[in-house]
Amino acid sequence: MKTTFTHINKNLFYLFICSLFFMGCEDFLEVNDPFGQINTPEVFEDEATATAAVTSLYAKLRDEVLLTGTTQGLTALMGIYSDELDFYGLGAEPMDSFYQHYIFSDDPIVEGIWNGSYSLIYMGNAILESLDKSDKIGPDIKKQLRGETLFIRALTYSYLVNLFGDIPYATTTDFGLNSMLSRMPASEVYENIIMDLQEAKGLLGANYISSERTRANQMVVASLLARVYIFTEQWDLAALEATTIINNTSVFNLEVDVANEFLKESTSAILQFKPKSEGENTQEASLFLFESGPPPLVALNPQLYEGMEPNDGRKEHWIGVVTDGSETWYFPNKYKIEANTGTSIEYSVVLRLSEQFLIRAEARAKLGNLSGALDDLNVIRNRAGLMDSEATTESGILDAISTERYHELFSEFGHRWFDIKRLGLANDILAPIKPGWKPTDLLLPIPENELLMNPKLEPQNPGY
Amino acid sequence: MKNNYRRSYVLALTSALFFTYNSPILSQNLPLKTISGTITDADGPLGGVNVLVKNTARGSISDLEGRYSLTAAANDTVVFTYLGYKPQVVAVGNGSILNVTMQLDATSLDQVVINAGYYTTTDNKRTGSIGRVSAAEIDKQPINNPLEALQGRVTGVDVVQNSGTPGGGFKVRIRGQNSLMAGNEPLYIIDGVPYDTQTLGSPNTSGGILPFADVSPLNAINPETIESIEILKDADATAIYGSRGANGVVLITTKKGREGKTKISVSSSTGIAHINRKAKLLNTEQYLEMRREAFANDGITEYPAWAYDVNGTWNMDRDTDWQKELIGGTANTRKLLAQVSGGSSHTQFLLSGQYQEETTVFPGDYNYDRISVNTNVNHQSRNGKFKVVFTGGYALEKNYLPNRDFSSDALQLAPNTPALYDEEGNLNWENSTFTNPLAAADSKYKQNSNNLISNTVTSYSFLENFEVKINVGYGLSYLKGVTTTPHTIFDPAYGLDSSSSMLTTSEGRRTYWISEPQISWKKTGNMSEWDILLGTTFQENNTEQGSIIGIGFPTNHFINNMSAASTLLILDENKTNYKYHSIFARINYAYIDRFFLNATGRRDGSSRFGPDNKYGNFGALGAAWIFTQGNDFPLINFGKLRGSYGIAGNDQIGDYQYLQTYSIQDYPYDGNIGLVPARLYNPNFKWEKIIKRELAVEMGFLRNKISFSAAYYNNRSSNQLVSYALPGTTGFPSIQSNLDALVENSGFEFELNGVIGRGSNFSWNSSFNLSLPRNKLLAFPGLENSTYANRYVIGEPLNIVKLYELQGVNPETGIFEFTDFNGDGVISSDKDKQYIADLSPKFFGGISNTINYKAWSLNFLFQFAKKKGYNQYRFTTPPGTLSNQNISVLDRWQQPGDQAAMQRFTTGENYEAYLAYSQFTQSNGVISDASFLRLRSLELAYKLTINKETGASCRIFLQGLNLLTFSSFEGGDPEQLKGFIPPLRRITLGTQINL
Repeated sequence: MKTTFTHINKNLFYLFICSLFFMGCEDFLEVNDPFGQINTPEVFEDEATATAAVTSLYAKLRDEVLLTGTTQGLTALMGIYSDELDFYGLGAEPMDSFYQHYIFSDDPIVEGIWNGSYSLIYMGNAILESLDKSDKIGPDIKKQLRGETLFIRALTYSYLVNLFGDIPYATTTDFGLNSMLSRMPASEVYENIIMDLQEAKGLLGANYISSERTRANQMVVASLLARVYIFTEQWDLAALEATTIINNTSVFNLEVDVANEFLKESTSAILQFKPKSEGENTQEASLFLFESGPPPLVALNPQLYEGMEPNDGRKEHWIGVVTDGSETWYFPNKYKIEANTGTSIEYSVVLRLSEQFLIRAEARAKLGNLSGALDDLNVIRNRAGLMDSEATTESGILDAISTERYHELFSEFGHRWFDIKRLGLANDILAPIKPGWKPTDLLLPIPENELLMNPKLEPQNPGY
Repeated sequence: MKNNYRRSYVLALTSALFFTYNSPILSQNLPLKTISGTITDADGPLGGVNVLVKNTARGSISDLEGRYSLTAAANDTVVFTYLGYKPQVVAVGNGSILNVTMQLDATSLDQVVINAGYYTTTDNKRTGSIGRVSAAEIDKQPINNPLEALQGRVTGVDVVQNSGTPGGGFKVRIRGQNSLMAGNEPLYIIDGVPYDTQTLGSPNTSGGILPFADVSPLNAINPETIESIEILKDADATAIYGSRGANGVVLITTKKGREGKTKISVSSSTGIAHINRKAKLLNTEQYLEMRREAFANDGITEYPAWAYDVNGTWNMDRDTDWQKELIGGTANTRKLLAQVSGGSSHTQFLLSGQYQEETTVFPGDYNYDRISVNTNVNHQSRNGKFKVVFTGGYALEKNYLPNRDFSSDALQLAPNTPALYDEEGNLNWENSTFTNPLAAADSKYKQNSNNLISNTVTSYSFLENFEVKINVGYGLSYLKGVTTTPHTIFDPAYGLDSSSSMLTTSEGRRTYWISEPQISWKKTGNMSEWDILLGTTFQENNTEQGSIIGIGFPTNHFINNMSAASTLLILDENKTNYKYHSIFARINYAYIDRFFLNATGRRDGSSRFGPDNKYGNFGALGAAWIFTQGNDFPLINFGKLRGSYGIAGNDQIGDYQYLQTYSIQDYPYDGNIGLVPARLYNPNFKWEKIIKRELAVEMGFLRNKISFSAAYYNNRSSNQLVSYALPGTTGFPSIQSNLDALVENSGFEFELNGVIGRGSNFSWNSSFNLSLPRNKLLAFPGLENSTYANRYVIGEPLNIVKLYELQGVNPETGIFEFTDFNGDGVISSDKDKQYIADLSPKFFGGISNTINYKAWSLNFLFQFAKKKGYNQYRFTTPPGTLSNQNISVLDRWQQPGDQAAMQRFTTGENYEAYLAYSQFTQSNGVISDASFLRLRSLELAYKLTINKETGASCRIFLQGLNLLTFSSFEGGDPEQLKGFIPPLRRITLGTQINL
């Protein structure tokens, strides 16, 4: 009896041993889906996730690259690069290279701008490709998302072409292709930008998709188009686009009081960034505000303050003053709230009506419509509490517009730098105040690593 | 669901094995009795002899007078073994006294049993390369982490401590860096269970104080509970670990209970620790001279407002040694260990507990403490066929640290920097003229971690030659890090209040299980011996990590309450699931104790690879020939040649890399979550493979009074798993793929052991080890057009840096000049960094000595390394800027015609000088010899016998670590080149009572 039992047991045992070695291994190696990740096609089968992929583009601009109010954004970087801001950080900090104009081709900040922007472009291209393939999203939403993505891609390229000159222009997600791109002439890049913006304008509706002005619509696209036309000196088209916005008075009106210009509800705003979470305000406030001197990081160039007319309301409302008795410092005070306020009060304004008035003023002046130009310029001056401009000649008016842009748009996304660059003033203005200034500083260097990995990007911009 | 089912299936089968076969195991046996006796050799009593009852786990060790005792039955056989002596096999019979005389062995080099992972071997039979550190060496060092025990003791193993701050991590390389970019960590196995040593710490909480936020999970293993650490190096030893064996395997075996009377051991020690070497910095007088000269050089006569140190804003009479102030404190250490062990012939146990505490060298009250408990129970059935071994360890660690390592501050603060505190004891900001480093210490890091590791091995022998065995392990690691950042760390000039205070918490949890059923067959014939093993592995690891930040508190009193924060943000949240399955086998053949052949193989599957690439095959062949067996040579009493060849692999690339997905990112916008593409898509990458070759000779001379071994190895890893760098225009920095690059690690390893003297109450043993590693990049397709063109050179080691070549200071301009390699008149970083400096060690090793005289024993180890490293200038700004400097800058250019090592001082206003200095910090001017000879450890101990009858004794010991360092290196400690706290010098005094 016992023998039989043992015998059976033994057989069972050998069976067990064998089973261990022959059991299905493939199944065992199946793992759970990665946490917090969705397969790419599934993202674009659902409106909510497809929309999230698109709104992430805005968020990346807000938090990380180009338009961010942190030290990585153009507001800070091109501010200290030109004559808007003075840098008070320690000499060893990487930002100092922008302030002193000691930029080399391996500058980590330049590389950050480049990589961050192309990462954004990749995200955009990935959305455009996946939206094309998706058959689960309705045509209206598809149009909206495609329009917004084209707008952001155009916006990103418009900054890149302005900073780096001829640039590689990626329109796909194919890394084989994208790692071997050649540089496209700047004029051609602008043509592509304009094409994208025109398509976006056709795709997007006239109204904001929500009650706030935080996502692109036709008007938003038109105001960027107006700016791009100024850069490409297509004055009539610039005036035309600006006019569509200025005339849309049911939506856009200059805030009568400059103090309200940067509030969330501002009627001057065309596109604003929604803060990360409700109650947060702007990153610009954290960047600029300080209570006692010397300034911890950056301060406004005192000459900007001193160059403003005595009764300019913008001095009082948009500039803060700190003094320790012997020395006085100024800081941009357009955004006044640093703390979390439970309900957000200020939004970072990306595009606003003032710029459109100044764009049209410039375009009109160039087209010979001097009185029209003065009208637009004076709208801005009067709103700031200033008298009408006394300029009469075309060049006088253009100078006045340029000054007005300096006083109106300071500390916003490097407007000043792009202005003095396109108007040919950079050398005259910066040579006396920047020890490291070189005429070749009009363009940033292509990051050294890019040239190394893709020799088709040679030659490097002059001077680096 | 399916996976869960599969797991239960495996576990069920596992348990089935236990319970089906516990019935027939009991068979009759004779009663046990106590056996005792004295062991001698030609010179008198012999202590330390291993005494073991054959085919049981019952054993003992003879004391200094050669006495031993154990229990055995009349029909048992007792085996006596001792290094360098012939084993004696004696039948117990009817008596109770067994006196034995040991004979020196001409043939056997070593009878120490060596753990090779799935099997054991002995030193003379092994075909592979296995290094070993035993408890005898580990316990003599005042260390916190088992990895510290390996430094200078094992050939081919390079261990570097990342930071002297308690709780930090280590970098361990066994025979060099094989992989360009995938992990180069060895596989750690603790009592049979693979132990994941990836940190659970998060840069969000511990990034400020611990380099790379690396909290070594091995900190949870109390070194004093370790019986031995084996290092598997060559193909023969590692191929049975297949895909995970490429970088070597570290086997940690904890102490086990032994048969005999219950032994109690209590030890307690206390000590101090402080930094080893300080950098020599300028004093205030020299510093101000440098600053004034810099201004003069730059043509600045009126000191600017921000030059606080020289314009009179700061007191120019202050002279503070910031190294003393910030990192010069004394850390106190305390340890308490208690252990109980013993057992009968069938069941043995061990139980130990330890408490340890260590403070830091930083100003302020910080401390690390650890409580650990270890248990071991062994049981075997009366007929010895059924065995079960359980080991378990649990550790609780707490670490409380400032969230900043002040090492860099200590080097950079001007010596006349204002006081850290004002008269009222508040942080001094001197009207915003300096950033008080201690403000950063208002930010604290607290860490709690728990660690459980357990393993059960059950085996059953049947049909004479067969044994089935199953090894089931389970472990859990948990770490919580909390960093508080009150607004007071910022200059009050910002006007911040507690609404800017922050609380960051991070949690990491890892659970893992393994199940390894195995079957083995052994057959011993007249001439030959066969040993065959077949097994399979099922393993799963689950890791969860996440961190949260809370911003804005009503007051800083509530800074520890996440619920009081006005904003909560989730910084990261991640879960990964890793599975591993394989089949492995070993066939070992021995012919008349003369020829040995060992074949091992493994087929591995890993969830880290795409559907078509989950499996890989690995294997090795090892052989050994004892040429002294059967031949007589003069002087040589033992000689062995061995060699091995095989393939192992590497899958250390992180999980899920083959999927095309979007991942959630912290980009909430307008009510939508953030979704971004996770990576560039490549489903086709495969295992990294390494081919390892080794040839070695092992010899014993003069009746083993001198033993020597030399090994040559050559490892080539190919099919490199890289995250291949891509231009930014692709939208990503890199893509995961295989690169056809080839990395070679080759080298020689030598060991020499000698008995310098042995007498009745005196002995002196000495050993020397030397490793000569050579690392070389043999191929890298497309290197010149990749970002790695600046990092790697074909034919050179991986650990090189490409630098400008310094030509010295131009005597006319006083500015550094560099070689313009491409002759274009401009020094540019991509074209002119052509100087190659190799930062890997040229050779390293150790010399250890153990001297016993009567009750005294002295043990010390010198560790040495020949290498180059970054010197004091690497992380500096130009001399003349507002930052202190090494005293060596005083040899500088002052006027035309001067020949000097350092260029003219500049405040940074002289652009050319500034630029030249920044190039200098990337030139060979910042490379110095960082070779060192270090008295790594020393122990002086005295053993007092309390009771001769019971063997009760008391041991008093004085231990030291890193006591002396000889080096020409000027930048502080030659082992810490990155600006963190170096390994500390420790001195401890303790006692151990054995009852």
